[in-house]
Amino acid sequence: MTAPASVWQLVELARHQDRPYSLDYITRLAPDFVELHGDRLGGDDQALIAGVGTWHGMTTMFFGQQKGRNLADRVARHFGMMHPEGYRKAMRLAKQAAKFNFPIISLIDTPGAYPGASAEDRGIAAAIATAIMEWFRVPVPVVAAVIGEGGSGGALGMAVADRVLMLENAIYSVASPESAASIVWRDSNRKMEAAEQLQITSKDLLAMGVIEDIVPEPAGGAQTDHDAAAQMLDAALRKHMEPLLAMRSAELLQHRYDRFRYIDSLIRAEPDFGPKVESRL
Amino acid sequence: MALARKRVEEVPAVGDRLPDIGLPTNCPGCGVGLELEEIRRQVYVCSCGHHFPMRAEAWIKLMADQGTWEERWADVRPHDLLLWKNPKPYQATIDEARAEGLNEAVRTGRCRLAGREIWLAAFDFRFVGGTLSIVAGERLTRGMEQAASSGLPYVLVAASGGARMQEGVLALMQMAKINGAVGRMHDSGVPYFSILTDPTYGGTAASLALMADINIAEPGAAIGFSGPRVIKQATYEDLPPGFQKADYQLAHGQVDMVIPRTEIRRRLAHLVELYK
Repeated sequence: MTAPASVWQLVELARHQDRPYSLDYITRLAPDFVELHGDRLGGDDQALIAGVGTWHGMTTMFFGQQKGRNLADRVARHFGMMHPEGYRKAMRLAKQAAKFNFPIISLIDTPGAYPGASAEDRGIAAAIATAIMEWFRVPVPVVAAVIGEGGSGGALGMAVADRVLMLENAIYSVASPESAASIVWRDSNRKMEAAEQLQITSKDLLAMGVIEDIVPEPAGGAQTDHDAAAQMLDAALRKHMEPLLAMRSAELLQHRYDRFRYIDSLIRAEPDFGPKVESRL
Repeated sequence: MALARKRVEEVPAVGDRLPDIGLPTNCPGCGVGLELEEIRRQVYVCSCGHHFPMRAEAWIKLMADQGTWEERWADVRPHDLLLWKNPKPYQATIDEARAEGLNEAVRTGRCRLAGREIWLAAFDFRFVGGTLSIVAGERLTRGMEQAASSGLPYVLVAASGGARMQEGVLALMQMAKINGAVGRMHDSGVPYFSILTDPTYGGTAASLALMADINIAEPGAAIGFSGPRVIKQATYEDLPPGFQKADYQLAHGQVDMVIPRTEIRRRLAHLVELYK
């Protein structure tokens, strides 16, 4: 495909309403997928799909943040923005995956966690924090892939994995460009400039060492051909899952800890601590 | 270590050595004109109960027994890794803060509290809104790893707007880096106490700040993930009175207790003793 002219065009592509969503991928990766519901604490968050299916001969636990396809679906799924119940459902089923030694695939596609009183009152900050901490204790392989939008802590809460991949036209950011603009300019209309400065493209994240690989998309973007996009994702997930399956649990957990412990250490010379990334602007 | 437990110092004695924190002329809580010396002796709490935000330096002075503070990793410095330009170059932000004598959004080190050794980390809201950055994450993580291996209690004083935009996704990754260490600290049996001050939001709230064995809020402190402005913009909701404030979070199960700053030293020393 021809490269998008600006980072903002890439943001629009990452949010394209015809782009495959998590369920579109999961049902192709594992046609016998069975969805599982509920956090066993009082709720079921439809912004997160969870369940099991057969993937390359292995029962696999799938998670996927799910935006809605039509208005009613979007409203029911809060546009892919998770509530505390979603992270608690994920933790319940991650423990189940550990019990049965199922590998885990987590697909990321969210603008961020739900920014409303309902989520706050039920402890969204603690729910995300707990999930982030607990992922380091899940003794089975975890591969995450950002398929569209990787927005803020809401995305990270489902992306503490052994390998993190990004689709070519996906974005992954500390905050949505709108939120970042609202924070630094007090004006969300500066979203395009914010998007450029934040360095949120798959190439940026690969250069920073935050992701392991970029998953190619069909010409024109994943929205043009869901089947082809799913095949490309399948190949990348398989490539990255394979070596993890051979690792012992202790080794896996140490590797996961170190992956994040030194994620900012491309250049570790003090006192100027931190990586240096060449500007792509 | 066979050290006799010291009595906890009284508040006026501790207040006397707190630095000037640049108070307004009138209290935003009750409108009364402020006497700096008097309010300092009350550890920057107005008699109406309003808690003035304290900088990291003041928190360290408040919590550490006199002469026991040993700061660590103060030489780990931020870097403008994204070459951030607008509306203000990140390098200029860093340089200005340093010129004001600020050393990043988190300072950490070892000290004693009522004679007992602890690790202490304090956020400084004046450094880019106390935002979680690579340096903040590194200092916090190293301290937690050392607390876990040395068996010392870990005390956090949080005050943060969330993750730092100018460090992009690497600021976000600090949440995972830190919570990995929080998990190890819990596994090692080390007690972790978090003092949540006004404000504690975003990536800081959604990583280490609420993951302590005991979450302690300061009276009136706003604590949450998304702030009221963001929530109103996104959902047009009318928020209830006191939304996200300390008492509200106590009622919603997010904190164990609300403790006035005038009592925090004594109460924390007691908790450290109970969890020894």
